[in-house]
Amino acid sequence: MTSTADKLRFEPTALPAALDTLRAEVRAFLKDALVGVPEVKRSHSWEAYDAEFSAKLGAKGWLGMTLPKQYGGHGRTALERYVVVEECLVAGAPTAFHWVADRQSGPLVVRYGTEEQKKEIVPAITAGKACFAIGMSEPNSGSDLASLRTRAERTATGWKVNGTKIWTSNAHRANYMIALFRTDPDPTKKHAGLSQFLIDLSKTKGITPRPIQNLAGGRNFNEVAFVDAELPPDALLGTEGQGWRQVTEELAFERSGPERYLSCFYLLRKLIDAVKETAAPATLARLGSQVAWAATLRTMSLSIAAKLNAGQDPALEASVVKDLGCQFEQALPGLAQELCELEPTLEGHGSDYQQVLGALVQVAPSFSLRGGTPEILRGIIAKGMGVR
Amino acid sequence: MNETQQMLEDTVNRLFGDRLGWDQLTAIEEQGFPTALWAETVEQGIPKVLADEQTGGMGLGWADAYPVLRACGRHAVPLPVVEASIAEWLARQAGATLPDGVPGLLTRTIATDTVSASALKLDNARTPWGRTADFLVGVAGQGDGAELIIASSKGLSVATEENIGRDPRDNLSGNAALIARHALPLAPDCVHWLGALARSAQIAGAGAAALDLALKYGAERSQFGKPLSGFQAIQHYLADLAGVVASVDAIAMAACTGLDQRGMAPLGRNARFEIAAAKCRASEAVEKLTRLSHQVHGAIGFTYEYGLHFLTRRLWAWRAEFGGAGEWGEYLGRIAADVGGDGIWPVITA
Ligand SMILES: Cc1cc2nc3c(=O)[nH]c(=O)nc-3n(C[C@H](O)[C@H](O)[C@H](O)COP(=O)(O)OP(=O)(O)OC[C@H]3O[C@@H](n4cnc5c(N)ncnc54)[C@H](O)[C@@H]3O)c2cc1C
Repeated sequence: MTSTADKLRFEPTALPAALDTLRAEVRAFLKDALVGVPEVKRSHSWEAYDAEFSAKLGAKGWLGMTLPKQYGGHGRTALERYVVVEECLVAGAPTAFHWVADRQSGPLVVRYGTEEQKKEIVPAITAGKACFAIGMSEPNSGSDLASLRTRAERTATGWKVNGTKIWTSNAHRANYMIALFRTDPDPTKKHAGLSQFLIDLSKTKGITPRPIQNLAGGRNFNEVAFVDAELPPDALLGTEGQGWRQVTEELAFERSGPERYLSCFYLLRKLIDAVKETAAPATLARLGSQVAWAATLRTMSLSIAAKLNAGQDPALEASVVKDLGCQFEQALPGLAQELCELEPTLEGHGSDYQQVLGALVQVAPSFSLRGGTPEILRGIIAKGMGVR
Repeated sequence: MNETQQMLEDTVNRLFGDRLGWDQLTAIEEQGFPTALWAETVEQGIPKVLADEQTGGMGLGWADAYPVLRACGRHAVPLPVVEASIAEWLARQAGATLPDGVPGLLTRTIATDTVSASALKLDNARTPWGRTADFLVGVAGQGDGAELIIASSKGLSVATEENIGRDPRDNLSGNAALIARHALPLAPDCVHWLGALARSAQIAGAGAAALDLALKYGAERSQFGKPLSGFQAIQHYLADLAGVVASVDAIAMAACTGLDQRGMAPLGRNARFEIAAAKCRASEAVEKLTRLSHQVHGAIGFTYEYGLHFLTRRLWAWRAEFGGAGEWGEYLGRIAADVGGDGIWPVITA
């Protein structure tokens, strides 16, 4: 009498009461720290780049929280970090500078880096002084990532890299990149020919990022050319040929966080304020439905955090929350326009509400691209349910 | 799941799994109340999981009882198990003991002026399984004061009705002799809220079972030389279904836990928020749950012979019962409007 649906349960999780104090501290800090930050910038939340803000957050002890103390991390729990991350997202804090480092690169360096790399990089991440880029996608390898071709060859002095990465967020201003390259060109070894590399961008020649303007005019992602880029031997991260497995682990961090449903939360807050005085019952019902979604996704997301904290691997659950979360956040800009009947505007024009709306309407298509598309996630979910 | 939940889940799945195949569900729709199955259900203590131990119940909270509520959806249980559970829990809050037999839960708040010293005057009072009820349970009150009313079901006129799940939803009229009345430390509208919570859990269960059927059928049925679930479009329907089922399950469980921990007092941050969110999401989800599970099945799912409809017809009925997405969305929208944009996240995380 088992049910396949039982493979996907999200048990309710209560955060330890001690975290209430942490949450209150973070809220109070953000309230002060974000005074004067323009509304549009806040609405971009984890895509807004602000090195100064990241350093402030680091000084509070809220970056690299889960990284081990012996290397300069804070040795705190994944749930403590979760509280900081969700409060930053909801407040619309500009977190892009440290986002990738804190979320996935830090844990990766701790797991696979050399002693030297850990001693150098962990304290920098913890201080909010290290910005990381993720070099996975290539012009001809998006969803089919394992088909990538950028080649790293062993040389007498280390590695030589040739090829092109694309959509690499912040590559033009990052300190480090963790990239996936092909180390074995044997065509029969599609996945097994891949390895991960840790690149100190300030010390490496032959890497040229070219910012690509996005449809809204922003310049966050890049095309990155590697022309005979020379890397030292210890740039190899983890084991040669194990890149695919390591990247899968990395994607679990990348897909499981609360940013997968909270990217537009700032807009929901603004929408509530815009309609609260005058809303008719039917409008309230539609607003309330979004609140119900947010509460549901919070429950699910927190349940994943608890599983991660307990050392389990909630990859299937994370795919589900990313898929559902994306539906929720992608629908919000349209709803926010409809319920207020205001035109979205460009930055610097119209009311704050219109500008926030204008910003999020334009970036919403990226929610279902970055970090894996729904089409790919649903394939993963179907597989997890035993369908494929 | 904890041990209690696992034990209960196994018990109810075994009982209802064995007794409620499509043939049996068909027979019950033709012949009416399955007296023997109800007796067995009572014998195993299932309608009394939320009842006080002093009165022969298990004394569980809603989170621990959740597997029973969900199983009532999963197996399309054509018995008033959920209604009895609510009645028993109310009796426990009031320190009352219910008579033996099948309870008839009065789903609408009873107006105080219809209760006299000896009788309760009913005028088309909607009562699931009213025709079979041995006694009635309801909540009367106005403002903050509430009373639990236990009354006789004898001598009433019964206008029989069924919802589209073909479960009895009868309308009772006449003077019901009072058996007992007890002060109840809850709001007068509590049956509506508890009903919404229970229906959310049932929707999660029926959704899970519809997903199971779709998964099984998708693997068995071949077209174009391969199983349906070999086609990406079908795989994506199944994945979408799985996600929606899991989301309803998650918020319904959270609402049960919330109710155990903070109750439903009318003021302050209490479980009403999660209950409203659960029923709003559950009712909204029904559209996708029913549409996609039917789509995967093709025409066979549209027949009476194939039993997907035992689930999907109940899903459509439960979507509306105890308030739909409009009502509960409006409740949540009002909370949002009251606390404002800065206040909504603290409510969600409280
Ligand atoms: C804002 C933004 C930031 C990004 N940042 C980074 C970054 O920092 N580093 C990085 O490496 N990458 C980054 N990406 C790239 C992102 O990971 C890719 O966009 C994504 O993996 C999809 O690849 P693609 O764009 O090449 O689309 P394609 O793979 O070409 O897909 C196009 C469409 O076809 C669908 N499709 C593809 N294959 C299948 C299939 N088998 N079945 C069904 N449908 C399919 C896709 O789901 C999609 O809808 C970023 C993207 C965006 C938008």
